[in-house]
Amino acid sequence: MKKSLYATDEAVMEGIRHDDERALAYLYKLYYPMISHFILSNSGTEDEAKDIYQEGVIVFYEKIKGNTLDLHCQIKTYLYSVCRRLWLKRLSEKGRFVMKVDESEEFLPVEEDSQHHEEQEKQFGIMGESLEQLGEPCRSLLEDFYIKAQNMQVITEKYGYTNSDNAKNQKYKCLQRLKKLFFTTYKPGV
Amino acid sequence: MLEYRAYEQIESYLKGDMAAEDKVAFEALLRTDARLAEQLREHKQLLQTLQGFGQRRNLRQQLNRFHSELESDTVAPTAAPAGWKVYWNRHAQTIAVAASVSLLSVFGALWSVQQLKAPVRQQTARYVELRREVERLKKTQTAIINGINDASKPAPRSAAFSGTGFAISADGFLVTSSHVVEGADSVLIENAAGHKYKVTEVYRDQIHDLSILKVSDPAFVSFGNLPYTFKTQESDLGERVYTLGYPREDIVFGEGSLSSSTGFEGDTTAYQISIPLNPGNSGGPLLDDKGNLIGVISGKQAGQEGASFAIKSAYLLQMISELPSEDTSSAAVLQRNNTLSGQSRPQQLKKLKDYVFVVKVYN
Repeated sequence: MKKSLYATDEAVMEGIRHDDERALAYLYKLYYPMISHFILSNSGTEDEAKDIYQEGVIVFYEKIKGNTLDLHCQIKTYLYSVCRRLWLKRLSEKGRFVMKVDESEEFLPVEEDSQHHEEQEKQFGIMGESLEQLGEPCRSLLEDFYIKAQNMQVITEKYGYTNSDNAKNQKYKCLQRLKKLFFTTYKPGV
Repeated sequence: MLEYRAYEQIESYLKGDMAAEDKVAFEALLRTDARLAEQLREHKQLLQTLQGFGQRRNLRQQLNRFHSELESDTVAPTAAPAGWKVYWNRHAQTIAVAASVSLLSVFGALWSVQQLKAPVRQQTARYVELRREVERLKKTQTAIINGINDASKPAPRSAAFSGTGFAISADGFLVTSSHVVEGADSVLIENAAGHKYKVTEVYRDQIHDLSILKVSDPAFVSFGNLPYTFKTQESDLGERVYTLGYPREDIVFGEGSLSSSTGFEGDTTAYQISIPLNPGNSGGPLLDDKGNLIGVISGKQAGQEGASFAIKSAYLLQMISELPSEDTSSAAVLQRNNTLSGQSRPQQLKKLKDYVFVVKVYN
């Protein structure tokens, strides 16, 4: 592994806080082999490893971004624990019970973090589906406005509306439809 | 349209760009209007989820990019050094051990073959010169005894080699094998009676392995008349012969017969005799029944029983005649009368033994 700026965990976390893409890339590349090894040696595939690992990294990333991370161990251990939890969950969902997990690292109980993450994943999944069902141009319009945070003026021109009020009106309709689609499938976690 | 207005209000409220007094009014409205509050909550959640979804999607894309980078990173370099380099890194230690073991066994095998061959080679004809390397043990033992007898004297240095020699004339000339005195610093002779003389080598015939020594001691007078004569003709096969020599501290008699008129590998200058000889016998006299000196003991064939060799006396005589003139005046005076003839063997030996010396070589 090449030497880099991010020699310590603190440096990596600081980099992520400051939206440094290289820090995240470094972190991602550093620990993938470990998780990949864990998943592969516990009846998983390369793709599943990638999936689980990315979820683990997302959990970590959002904890840092949300400043809710209270890390008393190495990033490595945290990532391992999260990924381990997620993978065991995934396995039990698939109906494959693993009696004995081949542990290569120590791990922490991270029920809370991973549950929160799963809840979010569920929401985002539904949101994705709802957006799909919404169809064009509503979907692009909403994404442009709310996600890419584009100006109403730009949107008006892009979608060929005669004026911005028209566009606003269109956006309102789209949002109402999305709201309906979303809340019919999504029931807040009990 | 009321819904649209409510929506616009909610939107601007959430964005936080509502004017202050409007905001207060809106919040007051929220407290009373439960439906509006519910709508606000839903709207908020929807937007949050939407934005979160967007962020998450971006993050996923980013991670996917990292992952593909990771794969190209790892696939490329692992493909390149895969092969001998990886193999070498993994097995270098094992290879080193295997290599050293094989080297060791190859050289070990070569060495042991060499060792096994050595005695075999010895059995093929090998001529052994019978000069004796004086055993250190015996010498040190005598040195200790000497030390007890006379503690003030330093223990004498032991000779490195010893052989046998005998007188050829009354005035202090002796003969021995030249390999006995080879590389000598100083040479001492001593006979059974205990007379010791310092001698020097005056002439050497390397080809016939003979050396003439002369007593250089100023105290020396004469050996007296020699009891034996030198035979000029060749002796016959089967003649009974004997020798005296010093294969150990004391004089040793050995008897046998002349078993061949040629020596080692058909050497016509020597006889083969069937007398068992040992290192230290070299340079001893070989005599026949009548007391004629017929040869000088020189060596034996290794691994062969009873195959000893002696230089014929003819070559000794030839050498004596070749002596430098200043020495010949006295050396040429060889004994004409044989006083041993017709006597019994013990009588002959009694007369002989004073003329046979141990030659001690120091270097």
